[in-house]
Formats: sequence, structure tokens, C-alpha cells
Amino acid sequence: MWRMLTSYGVPLLGIALVTWISSAMLAQWGLASAALLFLLPVLLGAARGGLGPGLLAALAGAGAYNFFLLPPYFSFHVHGPDHAVSVLVLVLVALVTSRLATRLREREEEANARAAVSEELAHISRLLAKGSPVEALERARAYVAGIYGALRIDGAQDGFSSLDQAAAAWAMHNGDATGHGTGVMAAAEWTFLPLSPKGRGAHALMALARPADGHTRPMVQIEHMAQVALLLGQGCDRIALDEERRARETLAESDRLRRTFLASLAHDFRTPLTVITGQLEALAQRSPEAGEALSAARRLERTMSDLIAAARIEEGSLSPQAESLDLIDAADAAFGAVAVPAGLSLGHAIPADLPFVRADAVLLHHVLINLIDNALGHAASRVMLGAALQGGRVALWVEDDGPGVPPAERTRIFERFARIEGGDRAKGSGLGLAIVRGFAEAMGMQVSIEDSPLGGARFILRMGA
Amino acid sequence: MNRVLVVDDEPAILRLLGAVLARGGYEAAAAATASAALAALRGGGLSAAILDLGLPDRDGLELIPMLRGAGVPVIVLSAREDVGEKVAALDLGASDYITKPFDGEELLARLRVALRQSGAAVAQEVLAHGPFRIDTARHEASIEGRALTLPPKEFALLQALVEAGGRILTHAALLEKVWGRAHVGDVEYLRVAIRALRLKVEEDPAHPRLIRNEPGIGYRLMEA
Repeated sequence: MWRMLTSYGVPLLGIALVTWISSAMLAQWGLASAALLFLLPVLLGAARGGLGPGLLAALAGAGAYNFFLLPPYFSFHVHGPDHAVSVLVLVLVALVTSRLATRLREREEEANARAAVSEELAHISRLLAKGSPVEALERARAYVAGIYGALRIDGAQDGFSSLDQAAAAWAMHNGDATGHGTGVMAAAEWTFLPLSPKGRGAHALMALARPADGHTRPMVQIEHMAQVALLLGQGCDRIALDEERRARETLAESDRLRRTFLASLAHDFRTPLTVITGQLEALAQRSPEAGEALSAARRLERTMSDLIAAARIEEGSLSPQAESLDLIDAADAAFGAVAVPAGLSLGHAIPADLPFVRADAVLLHHVLINLIDNALGHAASRVMLGAALQGGRVALWVEDDGPGVPPAERTRIFERFARIEGGDRAKGSGLGLAIVRGFAEAMGMQVSIEDSPLGGARFILRMGA
Repeated sequence: MNRVLVVDDEPAILRLLGAVLARGGYEAAAAATASAALAALRGGGLSAAILDLGLPDRDGLELIPMLRGAGVPVIVLSAREDVGEKVAALDLGASDYITKPFDGEELLARLRVALRQSGAAVAQEVLAHGPFRIDTARHEASIEGRALTLPPKEFALLQALVEAGGRILTHAALLEKVWGRAHVGDVEYLRVAIRALRLKVEEDPAHPRLIRNEPGIGYRLMEA
């Protein structure tokens, strides 16, 4: 209000001042100089206040000039064409000056706005580069809210007409600014700006409502906001990446804790067992009772290993390291790790020229030990290992001449604590075959049961060569 | 009498190892912590060390280079299932490892191998282990007096195994020795060469008795 008063008031005061001075000095200066003097307040009014104040000053100046300086004095009567020209010149000067001044002011404002936007964008970019995406996002939100009143973030589509939705889809798909104020679907009520650079396909958009005053949003503003939208997109991407990384770290940490727990559990069991078996070993040389206690302790050790293995399968912490393996080595190592009861024989007929397989050496070792132990527990006299190339894959089997596994039991037997009814003299934990299946599947092998030519069961592992 | 340092934080294990070592004719020097082990090392007079990796004051792995640096062969005693840790211990210079619960006789056998190795001269021209003899200067290998014709890689592989004299060599160690550092991950090379070598040295290559594998860890040469 005060601005308006001064922009109109000051030129009017100027006119009054010029009228007073020229009336007093008219005799000395002459009419032409006095008329020039009237240009000053008109220029002042037009340059400072624009068209309105300039025009008012021009009309007031022309009136005062005519009323006080032109004969007939104290009358608005225009005496001759030269006097009419003076009035016209004053009005023209006001028009031209105000127009020029307005344009200059607009340019200046635009340049200032551009500089402010650039500074803001640079600030947001710096925050992003510094690794503070949340701060950058907050800053961008605050900036948008500062211009448009508020920035709402949600996934809702309601409130948009079908044209708006089409414009949004276009912006999303092509990565172009679309809708009101742009060259594409300009009839839409909203301007849609993608949050991802062109060509990448946006996953989110910024939507700006048509200005409330009914004007068309200027292209400059759309360009600025498009840059803000890209920065918002970068901030969102960065935050999503950070979250993903944190989630991975948390997962790795809980995985590590589980492994540590199982490792320490194994350690806590093994240390006392080592002492027990070690001392019993020394005693067993003199006392058969100690020998029995020793084999019981060894069985306990196996059961404990089985429980830990089953826990590892259960919690999914197995991470097989596939390497090239010679099954001759695998059989040899497994034979070295099992105790063959008196009266039974254990051997293998693995061809020495079988292709190498890809498997985790340690897991396969455990699988073989469990299969051999299981077979030794059921065999009448012998357990055999064999292997052959079958259709590009390698089949490795463990078979015995025991009672075999009835077809109806061939799936159930791999479940934990599964036992075949009657005639089972195995004394294991009941976990052995569940571990076989768990470890085999972790390595991408299939395990199945067939009838063995020896008369008992043949457990077959199929694996990649 | 050979003095063997035993490092374990469990007093019962220390007593057990003491009894096993006494049975084998060794004197045991017990240490329950890494710092006690280092103090014993500074005291000198150690022939070998049996080292548990889970120590209260320090990771047992860190002790291996120090013990090796002092010329003390190390057998790692591990309760852990982790093959990676055993391989790391061997690659750091441990002579061998044994997993709890262990067999006393096996421990003594491994200890004998480790002690024999540390006593052997470093650069011998003629190496021997079990039925094998290798003349490095003349590039000749034989088994039970029968000359072997071996291509260079197989010769280098056999030489590495004979030099180790019954100690286990990790896959990576063998690959580096024979094929160079760039090939430490190429286990397939090793499998092929071992199979070829077995054809020439084993009585029944499908049932190897001399060149034995330990799953996920490496190979060792048996005496017979």
C-alpha cells in the first residue's frame, strides 16, 4: 500500500514542484524549457512505478502545463496545435519510459530468480554429493513448498482426470515434462515432471497444479522444477540404496551371529568330549568297560555333529563352495572317516577315469560318511560305492546287501528321526539321512533310493560333471 | 627329551595332551593363553607346538608365524568345523592340523612327521619319503627303485609332496608351487595332475594309498 502511495505520490509531488518552479521562472526560461522540465517527474514516475504512475504523472503534468503555463492561463482550454503536441509528447514519453522500465525490471527479476534457483539446485546437489540424501530431500521439499505452498508425497492417483493420468503415464514412460505448460498434452490440469533422467523410465513424478490465477506456467519455471524433480529423484535413489545396503549388512550380521553361535556350540560340546574320549582311550587299553564307554562317547560325538549339521540346514546357513573334485578322493577320504564293524566289508568300484564333479568337498564328505554309516548299519555283509556317467551327469551311489527300503518308505526315510518299522539296528541320531538330503540339495544334487543288485538299498546322488 | 609347547585354554585338554605326549616320550610345556605361549617361546628349548586356535587373549592364528619364525613346527588343534580356518592355519605355516576330539595315536604320528621335517636340511639334492626318491639336481624320480618318467608339472608336484614329507599341503600351496601364484584357484589343474601321477605311482589308482586327499584342504604323501 505504502509502495503504491509513494509510486503515485512522488511523481505527483514532482509535477507540483515543477509547476511551481516553472511558473516562477517562466519569464526567464521561456515555454520550451519549462515544458522539458515536466518530462522529469514523468520519467521518474514511469521508471519507478511503471505504466500507471507514469501515465498519471504525464496527464497531471499535461494538465498543469496547460492550466498554469499556457494561455489562456488557469483554463484547460487548448489554444493551438503546438500546445496539443506538448501534451501528446508528455503522454508518449510516459508510455515509452514505463514500458522500457517495466521490461528492464522484469529482466532483472528473472535473472535474480534464475540465480536463486541455480544456487538452490547447487546446494541440493552438494548435499547429495556429501552423502546426505535425507537432508537434500528435505531441502528440495522445503524449496518446492516455499514456491507452491506445500509438497505432498503419496502414491495416490485419485484427483487426476483421465487426461492428467495419460500425461502422467507419458511423463513416466518417456521421461519428459508433460501436461500443463509443456508441449505435450498442454490441456491437462497438472504439469508432470519425471524424477528420473530421460531414457531411464521414471518410477515417480512430481505433479504441479495449474496456477490458481489461471495463467499458463512459464517454461522457465517448468525447466527449474524439472531440475528440482531430478534432484529429488536422485535423493530418493540414494536413500533407497542406503537402505538396501543397511538391510544387507543387518542380514550379514545376523547370519554371522548364527554361525558364531553354532561354532561355539560345537566348541562347547567338543572340548569336554575330547577330554572324555582322550582319557577313555588310555584306560581302554587296560579295561573293556572303558572301551565300551569310549565307543558310547564316540557315538555321542557323532550325534552332536549330526545335530549341529541339522541345525545348519534348518537355519539355511550352508553356503556350499563348489570346486572340482575327484570322486576317488571323496570315497578315499570318507573310508578313512568311518569305522567298519567286524564282519562287514566296505569297498568301492569307482572308475579311475570318471570325469571330475563340481561339489563342496566338505559337504560331500559328510554326505558320504552318513550314507556309508547308514548302509553299514543295515548291511548283511558288505557295503559298496559305485559311480557312473549317466546322460551327462555323474551318479554316485552307496549300496548294501541288507533288507533294502520298501518303495513306500523311500521319501519318508529322508525326514528327520524317520526309522523303518522293525528290524532296524542302526543306532544313529535319526538325522543322518535328513542331513544327506539337506546337504545334497544345498549343493544342487538329487538323492534317491533304488533296489541294489546286492539285494539291499542303493542310495544314489546325481550331480553335475 | 623333546619339549613340546601345548597351548589351550582348557586345563582338562592340557592335562590330556600332557598324558598323550608323555605316552609318546615327549615333555609337555603347558600354556593357557597366547601371552603365556609367547613367554614359553622366549624361554626357548621348544621342539614343536600344539596350538588351539580359540585362545582368550589373542587369535591363535597370529601365533603361527611367530612360532614358525622361531623354527618351531606347529600342529593346530581345532574344535572348529571351518575348513577355511584350517587352510588359513596351514597357509600361515602350520605343519598340520588335528580336529577335536582327536585320536592320541594320530596326534603322535603327526607330531613325529612335523619334528622330522623341521630337522631335515633345507636344500637336499636327494629327497626321500617312503618309497619315493627324488634327485633334484639330476631331475630324476623313482619309486621303490623303479625310475619314473614324469612330465615337468607332475615331477614338480611329486617333488613338493616329497619335500613336505608327509605333511599336508593345501591345494593353494601346491598350485602356487607347481603352476605359480596366478593359478592358486585352479584346483582342476591339480586334480588332473594328481590323477596322472597316481596312474604312475599307485598300485591301484582307483584305490590310492600313497597320495591322499583331505576334503577341502589338500594332499599329503603317505609312507606306504
